[in-house]
Amino acid sequence: MITLKNIEKVYRTSSIETLALTNINLSIQAREFLSIMGPSGCGKSTLMNLMGLLDLPSQGNVEIGGQVVTQYGDKELAQLRNQKIGFIFQSFHLINDLSVLDNVEIPLLYRKGDPTGKSRRDLAKEALERVGLSNRMKHFPNQLSGGQKQRVAIARAIVGRPEIILADEPTGNLDSAMGNEIMAILQQLNAEGSTIVMVTHDESMAKKTHRLVRLFDGSMVGDSTLQTV
Amino acid sequence: MIRHLFKLIWNKKGSHALLIVEIWASFMVLFGLATLIVINVGNYRQPLGFSYDNVWAISLKSNQDTVEVAQKLQRAMQRLQSYPEVESVSRMSSNFPFSASQMSNGYEYGKQKVSADSYVADENFAKTLDMTVTLGRWYRSADSIGKYTPIVINQKTREALFTNENPLGKIIDKRLKVVGVVDNFKAKGEFMTNKPAIFELLKADQPWHDTMLIKVKPGTDAVFEAKVVKDIAIMMNGWSVEVDYLTDSRKNQHNLVLVPVIIALIICTFLLINVALGLFGVLNLSIAKRRGEIGLRRAIGATGNGISSQFVGEIWVLATFSLLIGLLFAMQFPLLNVFDVESGIYVTAILIAVLVIYAIVTLCALFPSRQAATIQPAVALHEE
Repeated sequence: MITLKNIEKVYRTSSIETLALTNINLSIQAREFLSIMGPSGCGKSTLMNLMGLLDLPSQGNVEIGGQVVTQYGDKELAQLRNQKIGFIFQSFHLINDLSVLDNVEIPLLYRKGDPTGKSRRDLAKEALERVGLSNRMKHFPNQLSGGQKQRVAIARAIVGRPEIILADEPTGNLDSAMGNEIMAILQQLNAEGSTIVMVTHDESMAKKTHRLVRLFDGSMVGDSTLQTV
Repeated sequence: MIRHLFKLIWNKKGSHALLIVEIWASFMVLFGLATLIVINVGNYRQPLGFSYDNVWAISLKSNQDTVEVAQKLQRAMQRLQSYPEVESVSRMSSNFPFSASQMSNGYEYGKQKVSADSYVADENFAKTLDMTVTLGRWYRSADSIGKYTPIVINQKTREALFTNENPLGKIIDKRLKVVGVVDNFKAKGEFMTNKPAIFELLKADQPWHDTMLIKVKPGTDAVFEAKVVKDIAIMMNGWSVEVDYLTDSRKNQHNLVLVPVIIALIICTFLLINVALGLFGVLNLSIAKRRGEIGLRRAIGATGNGISSQFVGEIWVLATFSLLIGLLFAMQFPLLNVFDVESGIYVTAILIAVLVIYAIVTLCALFPSRQAATIQPAVALHEE
């Protein structure tokens, strides 16, 4: 599903050159639930950005579904992100001026062949039902708890039915009870067929996934299978 | 996407209220200015109806002299006709073309009434000003023998009093008989509205019409003017003589119209610059505050151009809210026929104002929206 080959990522300014990732080779199968762990600044988010096509590697290739996407232009990359990838962020990234339902609809607005208003609405409602928030559709993000916000973010990530879900510390801003709820939803999505890559600092959350990749100073220092898919 | 943008702006209407009011105020000022310009351009495009080149207006004032005034005026006219430099002379009332003086009267024909500019002029008036009679003929001094005073009317008067009827031979106000029709007569210059006008035959024995219009040969200069003034002063002791070149009087009339328009244009420009700077600042700030949102939108499928279009779209939506409020006010002008201006002029002014507002907001949004498009999603999401 996702293949990273000889990935290197260097951030350059006029005076400083920082090696964020080096010699990363990683292959993630369909329906896999993979977690990435490592100390702060080890390159977890950079790796996630490369997998999510939000950034390009300095060297190496990224393949999504067998297609090398490194040479894709802005338009193709945007289309691929929209159709194949759903994002979940630690700080939710909800738009406070839009209702929960409108927030969930946003990815469908950018879909090629733009679904009609009615079908967008139906898909968004369905996604909110899947995360148990059908009673909060008309609420605004600032009227929700942290756990509810993250569930809205998950609904937004799954509304376009992507094959891959990238979650960057999805439980990082939540207490353990809320974190467990979110983890349960992610496990459910994985059981239904989604490939999930999750960055986390929480060992207990990582243990609930199939595979754990450890990073240190931009290099992969561990890749262990925890459960069979 | 348009519905999404409307919803986004509508939900933020509180924070955008001042901006909406500012755009609305600019639209109203622009609408007023555009109306003024459309009226004046429309007037300017209408023919003047006469020629003013090489025509001078000589105003003779008898001052304390009350003896044989009409005869003296006749002698002055004959003297003017005798100069080889003069092609034509006409005596008329003091409201000569481009003068500050104006005379208007109400006229009736049957049940139709019209308020028209009134000119009293002799038989040489049309020749001196090179006017074209479109129907009938210009009156002659010999016409004064009859029971009715001969008059020539312009097309506007004809439309107001006679609609489709042939006006020739018709009697107005029981004393005036129509002998001819001219097309336009815009005595106050090109920017004047083409109004109804009536020309009445000047009788030689009337002492109070003391302006002579003379058409001189091309190249006639101030030396001749000095000679005329001197000759008349000798001939008519105690009288004052004033010469106006119609070309100069025309410029003065134009200034009277153009100065207020230019002042309004300057005020409007300042206002629009303020709006433009305001919009520019608000957009820049908005983009700085919404980097996280931009990153998110890029992550879930927006292209750089899509982000740019979104910000331009948002400002259009904002302008549309303002313009809808503005239209509620502006549409009252044609509907209520305010200031008796044609509806078409108001509608054209509204369209111009709407286009200018959209052009300004687009220009203001272009640079910030291009900046927004260059924001790297990975960086923006990380900052949040």
